[in-house]
Amino acid sequence: MTMNCEEYKQTIAEDPNFDGGAGHVSECAECRTYRDEMRALDVKIGHALALKVPDLVLPDLPDLENVVSLSNRRRLSTPTWFAVAATVLLAVFFSMRFAGDDSVDYESLADEILAHVSHEPSALWITDVAVSDDHLHEVVPANIAELDESAGLITFAASCPINGRNVPHLVIQGQHGPVTIILMPDEKISSAIALNDENHHGVILPVGDGSIAIVAGLDEPLDEVQKQVLQSVVWST
Amino acid sequence: MQGSNTEERRRQRFDQKVGVFHQDMYRYAAWLCRDKAIAEDVVQEALLRAWKSLDALRDDAAAKPWLLTIVRRENARYFERKRIETVDIDNLTASQSALLSEQPDDDLSDMREAIFSLEDDYREPLVLQVLMGFSTNEIAKQMGLKQGAVLTRLHRARTKLKGTMQAMATD
Repeated sequence: MTMNCEEYKQTIAEDPNFDGGAGHVSECAECRTYRDEMRALDVKIGHALALKVPDLVLPDLPDLENVVSLSNRRRLSTPTWFAVAATVLLAVFFSMRFAGDDSVDYESLADEILAHVSHEPSALWITDVAVSDDHLHEVVPANIAELDESAGLITFAASCPINGRNVPHLVIQGQHGPVTIILMPDEKISSAIALNDENHHGVILPVGDGSIAIVAGLDEPLDEVQKQVLQSVVWST
Repeated sequence: MQGSNTEERRRQRFDQKVGVFHQDMYRYAAWLCRDKAIAEDVVQEALLRAWKSLDALRDDAAAKPWLLTIVRRENARYFERKRIETVDIDNLTASQSALLSEQPDDDLSDMREAIFSLEDDYREPLVLQVLMGFSTNEIAKQMGLKQGAVLTRLHRARTKLKGTMQAMATD
C-alpha cells in the first residue's frame, strides 16, 4: 500500500530512521526534504542528549549478608506454617491477631515489592498461555503452599528474592491486565499494607505466619482478585 | 570459601553491567530530572538498588532496560520525597544550568535548551529512542504506555523541537 504525504511525514517524525515508503519518497520531493530535515534534526538531538558523564563513583556496596537482611527484621528461626482458610474474613482475623507486632520494617518490604514488580516487566506480558504444572510445582512446591485453580490463569512463575528469601512470584491475568502475586510464607506482618506507586496499586495481606502481596495496574479492581487469591492459597503446615 | 567465590562472581557481574551501562544510566537520569546533582544522587541510589536486587536479573541481555527501569523508579522516588517545582528555563539553579553550560557549540546549546524545555512526557520517549536506541515497543514497556501513545509523543516532540529551532534561528 502506498503512503500519502501526511502518513509519510507522520511516520518519519515518529522515527526518522524509518526506511519504508520508498515508492512515495522517490516521487515526492517535499517528503524527501522533510525526511532529510528530520534526520538532520535527529543527529543534532543525539549530540545534544549526549551529556558529559561524570566519572563513575560506586556507592558503598553492602556485602551479600547485609543485602539479605535488608530490613533488620527478626528472622523466624523455626518457621511455623499452618494452613489458613481461604476467605478475606480470615485474613482480617489474622490481621487483628497479630496486631502489635512491630518486628517488620513495613516501608522497606512495600518498597522492595514495588521495585521488584517494576524491575521485572517481562513478567507482565499480557498472554493467555499458562505456565506448565511442572514449572508451577517447582516454583511453589508442596512444602510451601497449595494452590487450587481458582487463582486464575497463571502466566508467570518464578522464585524471586524478596527480603532475603526466595519466594514464589506469580502473575495471573486480571480483568484489565496482569496481576502480580507474591507468596511470602514466613513474612509475618501485623496488618495489611497498601502498595502504591505511579503505575501500580495493591496490598500486602497478612495470612497466617506469612503474607501475600497482590500488585496490579491502577485500573485493575483488587477486591475480586484478593478474594480469588485468598481462596486459592493454603500454606502447607 | 564458596560464599566468597559467590560474592566475587556477583561483584564481577555487577561491575560488568555497571561499566557498560553507567553512561546510559546517568544520561537517562539527567534528562529525566534535568539537574546534574540530582541525577548523580539518583544514579547512586539506583546503583545501590541494582546491587541489592542483582539476583533478580536473570537474563543479562535485559540488563540495560532493567537498569534504566531502576533509574526511572529512583527518579520518581526522589521527586516523591522532594516535590521539586517545575523547571523554569529562565530561572535555573546552578545544578540545573550545569547541564546546559557544558556545550561550547551554540547550535548544540540551543538544541539542548530546547530539549530541556520539552514537557517530561515528550522528552523521555525521545531520550529512550535517540540516545538509548530503544524501539517504540520497548519504550512503551519502559513507560507503561501503549505503543500508539509513544508514537504520538515522539511525533510531537520532534515537531516541537523543529519549531523551536526554527524560531531560534530567525531570532
